[in-house]
Amino acid sequence: MGWQRYRQGLEVSNHRTIYINDHLKNNFCPNWIRTAKYSKWSFLPRYLYLQFSKAANAFFLFISILQQIPDVSPTGKYTTLLPLMIILTVSGIKEIIEDYKRHMADRLVNKKTVLALESGKCKVNALADEAFLIDDAFYLCPLLALPETAGVQTEKQLLSISGKIECEGPNCHFSCFTGTLYITDRSPVPIGPDQVLLRGTQLRNTQWIIGIVIYTGFETKFMQNAVKSPLKRPKVEKVTNVQIHALFLLLLVMSLVSFVGALFWRRAHSADMWYLKRREEKSHAFGFDILVFIILYHNLIPVSLLVTLEIVKFIQAQFINWDEDMHYKENGVYAVARTSNLNEELGQVKYLFSDKTGTLTCNRMTFKKCSIAGIPYSQSSSRELNDPTLLANIKNGHPTEEYIKEFFILLCVCNTVLPERDGNNIIYQASSPDEAALVKGAKNLGFVFTMRTPYTVTIQAMGEEYTFEILNILEFSSNRKRMSIIVRTPTGQLRLYCKGADTVIYERLSKDSLFMEETLTHLKLFATEGLRTLCVAYADLSEEQYQHWLMDYKSASIVLQNRIQRLEECYDTIEKTTHHMIYQNCQDLGNMLGKENDLALIIDGETLKYAMGIGIKTDFLNLALSCRAVLCCRLSPLQKAEIVDMVKKNVRAITLAIGDGANDVGMIQRAHVGVGISGNEGMQATNNSDYAIAQFSYLEKLLLVHGTWNYFRVTKCILYCFYKNVVLYIIGLWFTFVNGFSGQVLFDNWCISLYNVIFTSLPPFTLGIFEQCCSQKDLLKYPQLYTISQKGKTFNARVFWIECLNALAHSFILFWFPTKMLEHDMVLQHGFTTDYLFLGNFIYTYVVVTVCLKAGLETMFWTKFSHLAIWGSIIIWFVCFTIYSHFWPTIPIAPEMAGQARMILICPYFWLGFFVVPATCLIKDIVWKSIRNTQKGSLPLNSQQLESSKAKGFEFSSVFEKR
Amino acid sequence: MKEIPEHLSRMPDNTAVKQQKLPAHEVRFSAKFVLCIFFGTGAFCLCVGVILILSAKRAKKIEINYTTICANCAELRENPFNFNRECRCSIPFYLPEILEGNVHMYYKLYGFYQNLYRYIKSRSNTQLVGENIKDVKDCTPFTVSRDGTPIAPCGAIANSMFNDTIMLSYKLNSSVQVRVPMLKKGLTWWTDKYVKFQNPSLNDLPSKFAGSTKPPNWPKPVYELDKNNPDNNGFLNDDFIVWMRTAAFPTFKKLYRRLYRIHYFAQGLPAGNYTFHISYNFPVTRFGGEKSVVLSIPTWCGGGGFFLGVAYTVTGALTWMASFALMAFHLAWEKKKVTPKE
Repeated sequence: MGWQRYRQGLEVSNHRTIYINDHLKNNFCPNWIRTAKYSKWSFLPRYLYLQFSKAANAFFLFISILQQIPDVSPTGKYTTLLPLMIILTVSGIKEIIEDYKRHMADRLVNKKTVLALESGKCKVNALADEAFLIDDAFYLCPLLALPETAGVQTEKQLLSISGKIECEGPNCHFSCFTGTLYITDRSPVPIGPDQVLLRGTQLRNTQWIIGIVIYTGFETKFMQNAVKSPLKRPKVEKVTNVQIHALFLLLLVMSLVSFVGALFWRRAHSADMWYLKRREEKSHAFGFDILVFIILYHNLIPVSLLVTLEIVKFIQAQFINWDEDMHYKENGVYAVARTSNLNEELGQVKYLFSDKTGTLTCNRMTFKKCSIAGIPYSQSSSRELNDPTLLANIKNGHPTEEYIKEFFILLCVCNTVLPERDGNNIIYQASSPDEAALVKGAKNLGFVFTMRTPYTVTIQAMGEEYTFEILNILEFSSNRKRMSIIVRTPTGQLRLYCKGADTVIYERLSKDSLFMEETLTHLKLFATEGLRTLCVAYADLSEEQYQHWLMDYKSASIVLQNRIQRLEECYDTIEKTTHHMIYQNCQDLGNMLGKENDLALIIDGETLKYAMGIGIKTDFLNLALSCRAVLCCRLSPLQKAEIVDMVKKNVRAITLAIGDGANDVGMIQRAHVGVGISGNEGMQATNNSDYAIAQFSYLEKLLLVHGTWNYFRVTKCILYCFYKNVVLYIIGLWFTFVNGFSGQVLFDNWCISLYNVIFTSLPPFTLGIFEQCCSQKDLLKYPQLYTISQKGKTFNARVFWIECLNALAHSFILFWFPTKMLEHDMVLQHGFTTDYLFLGNFIYTYVVVTVCLKAGLETMFWTKFSHLAIWGSIIIWFVCFTIYSHFWPTIPIAPEMAGQARMILICPYFWLGFFVVPATCLIKDIVWKSIRNTQKGSLPLNSQQLESSKAKGFEFSSVFEKR
Repeated sequence: MKEIPEHLSRMPDNTAVKQQKLPAHEVRFSAKFVLCIFFGTGAFCLCVGVILILSAKRAKKIEINYTTICANCAELRENPFNFNRECRCSIPFYLPEILEGNVHMYYKLYGFYQNLYRYIKSRSNTQLVGENIKDVKDCTPFTVSRDGTPIAPCGAIANSMFNDTIMLSYKLNSSVQVRVPMLKKGLTWWTDKYVKFQNPSLNDLPSKFAGSTKPPNWPKPVYELDKNNPDNNGFLNDDFIVWMRTAAFPTFKKLYRRLYRIHYFAQGLPAGNYTFHISYNFPVTRFGGEKSVVLSIPTWCGGGGFFLGVAYTVTGALTWMASFALMAFHLAWEKKKVTPKE
């Protein structure tokens, strides 16, 4: 993998220097990317390596190799190799299709044209130091927007610039960048993340831009971020893996038992076995004989399970993608299952961690109420603030008129909103919705923010136009929880406007600030109504104060390391002088949580820090777990992840985290299942999630319907795959008891190896894809049904081994019934006698029928596909059987099978057994099931509602069925 | 908001399959339904079971174990060096009532493991189909003779072919014994005789088998199995073919002869005194086995034993019992469910 090498290689270099207009000196990695896993040549080795690093596949490869040893394999040389090849081919085709898509996407990106300026010529699709980019173009690599100080006008001038950029080496942090531009004969200019255009960004509202390439290809931040999120393995898979290992042990035990049996048998038959001429009695070593039995029984481990599950889950994921109920019509976004291996985990979620703003609530903000200079203004009827007293106060010269005006001017000036003219209308492009809400609110009241240039802001206040010169913007960050702006007002005054969370603002207010008391009361009042609150404040600055600070700021801003920290310290010094405050708030329009709270715990980030301390962590966890809901406010992204981690580690339950922003990425990755809201706040959460949905409310369908269905489907499919293998291959064990533990197989070799690939391959798919344990309506109506899959009672070690025991019982019946039937050797009408394969084909047919009917018994929801799979499989077997027994000697395989179908299909005994043997097996199942179901009728969850909704009587509904 | 073309491309067509709204019938067994099925199945099984048992009862069978009766022969065969010493043995028996119909004669071996792994695979099917007489590679341990000539038919199965001759005679009266006419053809599956086993060429068998040798245990080469009857000679010999179909169990029967229904025997075997004349060649006591001869008439469903009938009856009975139990369970549960509500 080239890009990994790049990544590792470049992690080392912390700095990079880029020489402008001197590209020979620059050392870029090629500007192409590859997200595809394989290339044409590396496909086979890499794919095989990946496949055989899975234990099950390695095991089957091992068996295939063993079979090549002459005289060891009782089942022929290629009978394991062939199904293995088929299975690897199927999953290889799936890989190729997926990788082809990636190749196409890569090609699309790599072929994108850019304008590049190099030695005076415009070159297309080449990498150059500087590049012209047209409006709305995508950038192939992060570009550095040359600060205007460079002051270039013509192409020639552009080419004559010389200088260098020093910046940090390639890294994966999207939101930070530090560098310094040195242009000859000019003072160094700091470059921050604001000036960097990342790969994949789109330029808007800009006619042209000149940039310098900083990172290319795999070094771009985008690619550096394209690390595969940690592989999450679902619980069901873990249980299955343990069982596979247990089965492997069982296989060894069976082999050992057979081997010991063989020893005893030989001792008992130590008499002269002249017909066998046992010449090399001792030639086969101990290990050699064991190998025979391992090969004989190896199919106990279902070879097709992995690929079956892969395909089943892939299709389940498609169902999620296709779901129209999870299609957000407004922006045409569908739910996306970004991984398919967690499908069944969706049905087992016990703890749900949700980000609030933007996720639980839909992040649509409106300016609702405000309190200016101690007077609250509100409007109850309309959705937006439109208080007549407020307007009256402005116009009629109320004592607080100045403050009111200052308040709205602040709202218009202190923001990073971009006004975009669309005819007469102004559209505000804001990175956060509350800013937009505030600016819009101000506009409604006559304070219109009309234009922004890099150094000025123009507003229209009550019809008059004012232009503010922007000196510095102290940006918002989630740590600072505030933003400030230093402006020169039209009257020439230096002023700092500050806007942020109430706590941080209050900390920074000077002691003689006005209206502190009143505002605090109103603040509390608004907060209890469930409104989101913000405080704003301003401070007048003196010229010396500002100059002094500016020097500090400049020195801090060109430092490469720790710039952010230094800057923040620096910001802090000036904001502390704030001493006037007004207060306003916004409302969250979302649907608030809180339906069934018996007890809810509310804790904020500061407190949580202590609660997560070593001593009281467990106490806190217990307390939190005892509550119906726990609200954690004002957490840092790390804390979010920590909480998820704590629950995940200490409580053995499946966790789901849902969020929409970059601050949720940690918890999304940490939780068992991560869900991202694909919507407004960028793609960070979505890109790191396992499932992306457009609306929080879609989670209901995703969990209750898809989760439950997928859980039942996957578990049924797994159990069934094990069941069918155990049924057929344990028969080999029974047969050893009558054939002197010699390792002879009862069936034709190819019948054995095609069992999983053809004859019983369809029912697991219909079970895994189309099965529905309950209707969608019921699942949504009775969320209690979710608890069944949530508790995972339909699939655990106990259920698994009960199923295996059941399979054992079936195989017992399936072997001994036909054996007893044929014991007399006189079953054919003309007195013809039969052979071992005759018995084998009897049994094999009964096995196929029983196993298919068992799938039918498991199927609750019979679609046309179920019919096709179940009856089809039986018919396929009969057709194949008939054709197969006509092969020899035209096609030189299966001489023993010649004529079998002909004799078996006319044998009345066969048809008599055809009914009674599967019936005996399955009647037992039905009885067992119905008794268990009847008992389970006392489950609390289904007591009354469900009974009324469904037919009375003992339900065979698999919902209650715990096997 | 405008839609990005990417979304358009993955806009699903809303088929029932994709929305998981396929028409389907949900199998929710109601009590009534299950009980009906159970009672129905039970009744059916019981009926079939009774019919089978009755018809199995009608099947008649005579089995005579001649290992102990011919003890002296058995003893002789204990020693492999006596292989060319002949040993005959006569077993008289009385048939109390007529065996009516197509009487089949079987030989039955006890404790002979034809189903051993190394035994079953010791045969060459390409040789038997007449393609390549020298293809003996699958036949270990009986591939070539001591001097390296390939054995035909090779392999352990062929080598151990049953070689007793059994003859049945009927005592017409105190002085006259007639040989019961038996057919030695039509004993095999059609495919065996016409597909699986073929002589290299029908004419001049010995030369076709030139370059091969007889199996070590055989007294004569394969082309002398039935010299009088070219259709029954070489690989096409019915006894040979029957033997080559390896049995599933260590105790097995193989079809030996069919009654030729003429003269006295047009109806079957009339009641009276009979004698088996056995040329005892096949050693069984060496591996601790036994052998017997069986006369039987298969019925419409074969001549098998009672097992299938019993299986049907028992299954039927169990199904009924289960349905009664379920009914009781169901009623009790209903009651339990109703009482706490009130």
